[in-house]
Amino acid sequence: MTIRILDPTVSAEESAGVAIAKRVADLDGKVLGLLHNGKVNGDHLLELVREQLGARYRLREVVVIRKPSASRVADESDLDRLARECDAVVTAIGD
Amino acid sequence: MTLAAAEHEVAGWAEAIETYFERGWTDGLPVVPATAEAVRRFLEAAGRRPDDVVLRESTRRRTITAEKIAINAVMAGCRPEYMPVLLAALEAMADPAFTLHGAITSTGGSATLLVVNGPIRTRLGFNAGGNVFGPGWRANATLGRAIRLITLNCLGALPGLLDRSTQGHPGKYTFCIAELEEESPWEPLHVARGLPREASAVTVFAAEGPHNVLSHYGETAEAIVVAIADTMACLGSFSPGESFVVLAPEHVQILARDGWTRARLREALYAGARRTVADLKRGGKLPGAVEAGDEARWVHRGRGPDDIHLVVAGGGAGGHSAFIPSWSRERNSLAVTREIRA
Repeated sequence: MTIRILDPTVSAEESAGVAIAKRVADLDGKVLGLLHNGKVNGDHLLELVREQLGARYRLREVVVIRKPSASRVADESDLDRLARECDAVVTAIGD
Repeated sequence: MTLAAAEHEVAGWAEAIETYFERGWTDGLPVVPATAEAVRRFLEAAGRRPDDVVLRESTRRRTITAEKIAINAVMAGCRPEYMPVLLAALEAMADPAFTLHGAITSTGGSATLLVVNGPIRTRLGFNAGGNVFGPGWRANATLGRAIRLITLNCLGALPGLLDRSTQGHPGKYTFCIAELEEESPWEPLHVARGLPREASAVTVFAAEGPHNVLSHYGETAEAIVVAIADTMACLGSFSPGESFVVLAPEHVQILARDGWTRARLREALYAGARRTVADLKRGGKLPGAVEAGDEARWVHRGRGPDDIHLVVAGGGAGGHSAFIPSWSRERNSLAVTREIRA
């Protein structure tokens, strides 16, 4: 006897209304954001990124934010600040 | 009652069980095929509509309805009347304090410990006695398993994809106990956490596996405290996180005989569960080399006595208690208690 079983899975929803940020051609005169996710050594990795980009471009300013915990998503206020103040943002996990 | 889930026709029960394996919808063990008829019975028992939203997880962008919960509960082998416990546990896991996304993703490999309190324990047949973490009781085994199936199927925490546990632990199959309130000289966990005694409740905790605390020969409260505190101070699990201590009836009887209160035990365990900064550095728990003074600087497990949650459970014979450390190394995930409305 045939039986019909129900699909137990839930798919991820499409993220509505979120587009990829506008690309920047270079970082001369731009504000760079660095978001450290809170894992060990993520700050060292980002410092290297700052050095490398700083050597290649004339950065106007660098905004550094550290998440208090790697396990939690970034605070809305931190994300808003990065979006408001920065032309480009690099984030890094460490470990 | 109209259901929304896609249906798959299969040749029979044996084929259905194989279909679940083929589609990657199990925890590695066979499941009970979930038919529409069974799922409707579970929803009716819960008094929920199929499209009631039970849980939203924003990072994984999942919205989980009562229907999907019921499907997975059937698959886990639950009875319909377990649904209110399952729904309360999921509501607790959705509390921001639990940090659901991190807890089910992390290399730390936690499982969700469920502790059931109140009259519902006996009504649904939960085991709080011998072999409390072990097999043999449907309510414990299938409720814990339902949590795992939902984590896999509804939250996408598939091993190697959105579950990056380095090792995990056996509690990830099922990890559900009840408190043996009748053997406790003190207030039970749900009362300590602010609910009335006559309420039924479930507490969830993103947890490592249990560490056995064998203490047979001291036969004094002091000896038991020394053994539990030493286990809580083990370097491998040492952190500022919360702790569960599941006391065997034999241990708690000695503590009560010697006049110990719940509060005094928590204070003594907090005081005893400590390591020197030198130890933490030698064990790779803190960065840097051991410096002058580090041998005399002490760090405690947790932030205070309130971070130690006490539960009584286990068989009548044997001096075996358990320490269950938090997955959270800091304060990212905390125990959450919810009343079961049944």
